[in-house]
Amino acid sequence: MKIVVSFKVVPDDQDIQVSGDGSLDFSKAHKIVSTYDLNAMEAAAQLAAANEGSSVVGVTVGDKKIDDSKLKKNVLARGVDELFMTADDACADMDAHATAAALAELVAKVGDYDLILCGDGSADNYAQQVDVQLAAKLGLPVVNGATKIEAGDGFVTVERTLEDVVETVEVPLPAVVSVTPDVALPRIPGMKDILAAGKKPMNVVAAEGTFANAIKVVDCKAPEQADRKLEIIDASEDGAIEKFAAAIKAAL
Amino acid sequence: MKALVLAERSDAIAELCAGARTVADEVVLVAFGDTQVPEAVADKVAHIALPEGAVVDDAADTVIAAFDAEKADVVFVEPTKHMKVVAGKLAAHLGASVITDVIAFEGDVATNMFFGGVGMKKQKAAGVAIYTVGAGVFAEAQASGANAVEELAWVAPAKAVKLVSSKAIEKSGVDLFKADVVVAAGRGFAAKEDLKMADELCEKLGAGLGCSRPLTEGVDWLPTEVYIGVSGLMLSPKVYIAAGISGQMQHMVGCNRATTLFAINKDKNAPIFKQCDFGLVGDINTVLPALTAAL
Repeated sequence: MKIVVSFKVVPDDQDIQVSGDGSLDFSKAHKIVSTYDLNAMEAAAQLAAANEGSSVVGVTVGDKKIDDSKLKKNVLARGVDELFMTADDACADMDAHATAAALAELVAKVGDYDLILCGDGSADNYAQQVDVQLAAKLGLPVVNGATKIEAGDGFVTVERTLEDVVETVEVPLPAVVSVTPDVALPRIPGMKDILAAGKKPMNVVAAEGTFANAIKVVDCKAPEQADRKLEIIDASEDGAIEKFAAAIKAAL
Repeated sequence: MKALVLAERSDAIAELCAGARTVADEVVLVAFGDTQVPEAVADKVAHIALPEGAVVDDAADTVIAAFDAEKADVVFVEPTKHMKVVAGKLAAHLGASVITDVIAFEGDVATNMFFGGVGMKKQKAAGVAIYTVGAGVFAEAQASGANAVEELAWVAPAKAVKLVSSKAIEKSGVDLFKADVVVAAGRGFAAKEDLKMADELCEKLGAGLGCSRPLTEGVDWLPTEVYIGVSGLMLSPKVYIAAGISGQMQHMVGCNRATTLFAINKDKNAPIFKQCDFGLVGDINTVLPALTAAL
């Protein structure tokens, strides 16, 4: 079976700086694959390994900077066989509707496929909406919350872990399935994987269409820190435990 | 102004209908399957009976038909996985994007978190606004309405998902949203048995026990449903006691709205000591039993 895995490239949140006015500065942030999308890649690789003759294609859309050689190799070192990427500033800062439109345009270049996997949610917006919007755009069925996927004949059996129940469902193919982080633990690529990754096909294209956002961002700043008392005591000090206990009682 | 509410659990139905009432003079609730609808929450309850073997998600086409008939201006949605699919399909139909996990509204400007709380994003919908809204945002609002029931005709999806089975998840019984006091255990606990110390502290305080990510991912010391932080629970209890938690941003966004925040950690340089009201530097193995005894 041919499995497409969709992922997002985001700034590494460890490198985000907060400026004096509270605005967020991403200029020093490395571009990385959004954390939970690594689990989706691993799920794709494991599903491919369990079904002989399968292949995995990675797809992503974003601004020009996502066309990063280290990042592309990292993806292709994780059991992904081929990469399709729209790296174009027309695809910067898109909402779910725009992202789905851009992904649909890119997926059309991949050719036939059986399954599109998405991660649980992106590190930046965590909207959990691109899976659904992409499926709607492509006219495919979609389920989210997948913790197990097994291939059947013309369908996949998916175990979905929801808030109160675990559902087992059959989804006719082709389909879009988004997975939870628990579905599979991402591998740590070895040197051999990374070297081999450099030889795999990487298709980087420009956007053909334009993708308008339906959500307008008014403002995005670091939250104001709650004023905390910051009274820190060492447990070895005399009466420290009693003082701490008294503070808890007073706060109840 | 007309609001549509999409929700599948009674608590969320009541709260979102109440929230919808604050902006809309007409509130229409869409109820799915055998959901218990609280009394007097909406002007109209548009009920969708689920055919045998259908998943709730596949009610999306029926919801779209209902939306087009009702011509609502705004949609409030419970952030469950089923509802996120339904809302997403409705948004795709309208050329819109859902504004997800809103934590505050100022008129038509909705705030949600960016990078799990590193930033707060204020945004507006260009067309019809569809929001998913978590528990607590509309806690103060009052629902009302005659609950006039209308049965909606099922609109079958083009490619249906088949429900094979549905099994209830056994819950720990603790609803941390309702707990005034929450104790959270983190990586500082070296073994599952050590959680007994946290249990004893909880018992003394009548607290609920939650945890940071390392205790639910990879190991199963505690159920995933009590994980606090990014993509888990976002709590605002009166008292929050973080034990053996370093204070990474990913965890802190889940608890930084607590009224009073207590921290216990053996590393005096742990980031949590810059974000708490009262900090105790010490090893949980000795401090927790002593604290439980002192309370």
